Amino acid sequence: MIHFAEIVLVLILLSILLSLASNRLLALVKIMALQGIAVSILPLLLEHYRTMGSGGLIFFQMMLLIKGVLIPGLLYFALKKISIHREIEPIIGYHASLFVGLLIILLAVSITDALGNAIPTGNALLLTTAITAFFAGLFLMMSRRKAITQVIGYLMLENGIYLIGTALTQHSHISYVVEFGVLLDLLVGVMVMGIILNNINHAFDDIDTDNLNRLRD
Amino acid sequence: MLELLFILPMLAGLLALLLPGKIGQGVLVVTALLHLQLGVMAWFGGLPTYADNYFHPSAPGLLVLLVTSFVFLAISLYSLGYCQGAKIEKESIFNGCMLLFLSTMSMVALADHPIVLWIAIEATTLVSAPLIFLQRSREALEATWKYVLICSVGIALALLGCFFITLSVNIAEIAVPLSFTSLNEVADQLDPLWLKVGFIFVLIGFGTKMGLAPMHTWLPDAHSQAPSPASALLSGALLNCAFLGIYKVHTLMYLAGLGSFSSQLLIGFGLLSMLVAGIFIMKQPDYKRMLAYSSIENMGVIAFGVGIGGFALYGAVLHMVHHSLIKSSLFLSAGNILHSFGTKAAEGVGNLAGVLPRTFVPFFAGFIGISGLPPFGIFISELFILFGALQGGYYLQAAIYVGCLLLVVAGAARIFTDISFAGNGGPPLHRDSLLQVIPPNLLLLASIILCVWIPEMLHQTIINAISVLGGTIHG
Repeated sequence: MIHFAEIVLVLILLSILLSLASNRLLALVKIMALQGIAVSILPLLLEHYRTMGSGGLIFFQMMLLIKGVLIPGLLYFALKKISIHREIEPIIGYHASLFVGLLIILLAVSITDALGNAIPTGNALLLTTAITAFFAGLFLMMSRRKAITQVIGYLMLENGIYLIGTALTQHSHISYVVEFGVLLDLLVGVMVMGIILNNINHAFDDIDTDNLNRLRD
Repeated sequence: MLELLFILPMLAGLLALLLPGKIGQGVLVVTALLHLQLGVMAWFGGLPTYADNYFHPSAPGLLVLLVTSFVFLAISLYSLGYCQGAKIEKESIFNGCMLLFLSTMSMVALADHPIVLWIAIEATTLVSAPLIFLQRSREALEATWKYVLICSVGIALALLGCFFITLSVNIAEIAVPLSFTSLNEVADQLDPLWLKVGFIFVLIGFGTKMGLAPMHTWLPDAHSQAPSPASALLSGALLNCAFLGIYKVHTLMYLAGLGSFSSQLLIGFGLLSMLVAGIFIMKQPDYKRMLAYSSIENMGVIAFGVGIGGFALYGAVLHMVHHSLIKSSLFLSAGNILHSFGTKAAEGVGNLAGVLPRTFVPFFAGFIGISGLPPFGIFISELFILFGALQGGYYLQAAIYVGCLLLVVAGAARIFTDISFAGNGGPPLHRDSLLQVIPPNLLLLASIILCVWIPEMLHQTIINAISVLGGTIHG
């Protein structure tokens, strides 16, 4: 059964690389929806999560709904509302970004190796994927200009944090800590709502964060 | 019950969101008074806790709570006058969010469970963002966007930190409730590797919120764009709350025998923040941004003092109290200046002593206070930290510390003296009302009083807060 988990993990890794190389925002949102779904069903495929109660089940359904439907839906709505389609002139180009993505995977593998015995057995690939998502999210936030791409980067970072938690948890009885990461989606929601409602499209011609540079020293 | 301290302002805040602005003002002040009352009752131990796994009146928490409560009372009185004079649009949002902000900050101060603490700090971001965006200008939007985005990353990292701390409990296979009080008792059994990693993430995460360099970039924007009462609250109360989160994990590290590791990090971040603030304050054209950079510097001082420990720890806690009082007073005075002259640029303001003498007094006195001169408390606290550093043998660090302090004073002095005396400063657009002048003076007065006389109760609480970390005032 562990193979299913690995297939999902490879899917997540691919989605990360795809998102780094994609310049169409609509495609980016779709990729994030896929990644959200993959991330939220992953724990169900892991062995030590088998014995969860009904509370856990409800939690995973909620998670699937938020990460897979609600947030991507909001992002999609935001795209329609402000009608932009492409990330033009990223700070770091798409090919370079893809290359950085590969470097991040290397980094993640080496971190996982360095941790060695400190992680539960069989979770090495999971941790690698998690760290990749974490750093790729950070990278996406820093290397793109559009506000909405930055939010997507944040979403990926958040997925990474959730996966890191899943990878390092040995026992199912661990008090739910990483699960509270769902609250971070609240912040994402607020940011996207900010883009939709709060005059970002009124104040600027497009939501290019390069326009957000009047306050500087 | 103890939980009332955050339930009451939360309900009042929700109510104020619905009420029209004028009535909301009343709710604001009444809640502030009640909150202070409850806070004092909590000090005397008159409030039992219901959910005692999650909330506990710890000594540093109580300290932060009382400071927050007192500063909030002064700010709420000030905003009575401010809202009458300055046009605050959406007054009900202002009132409601201020109260919700107070509620979440009280929750931070009382939280004993790492996750409750984390949730509360996240909530402070959510409820303070509308305050920064209140003026709805392009700059305000930019400041709010930066604030939400950068703090969100910080919050996410802090969650990871909390998770690693939990992991260190799980690996050690200790069955204790996950609260700082019980973790402190079993600190030496925790897994040191994950505890260290956890501390790094918590320091970076909450450090973002606290305004430690290099994660401080949101702070000058947010503090300068928010309406002045909100800036005062951000600077005087929110930064302390974020600091409290770091302090609690630092305590845990110290008890686990990893104190030197976390101290080194705190000293490093502290000095870096002071240096960055010193550099950026030099050519600052905007007086509210200048105050914000001064906040970064003071947070650096606090982190430095906590890192040094011993004498300096006492100084750091004292510094936190006095910085809150003086800085929020300065932001309120700056609010009067902004209201009267209609510009944030120091160039556009001149001859304050002649034009607005009533605002000039707290503004300039605040400058004397923030520069670390007597008779204000920062004089004592900075001296304590310096002595602590010298006593601990941190000579190089002490030299950098003094250098940065001088740098900031030099940078700030130029702006303060320019605003106060230079130029002829045209006639102000508005006069300052009495309600806008009394609260800043009140805050400064509190700092002076605490400088010469510390009530036994307060003294005892400070000692309790620092004795866990080996802090002392008897060298």
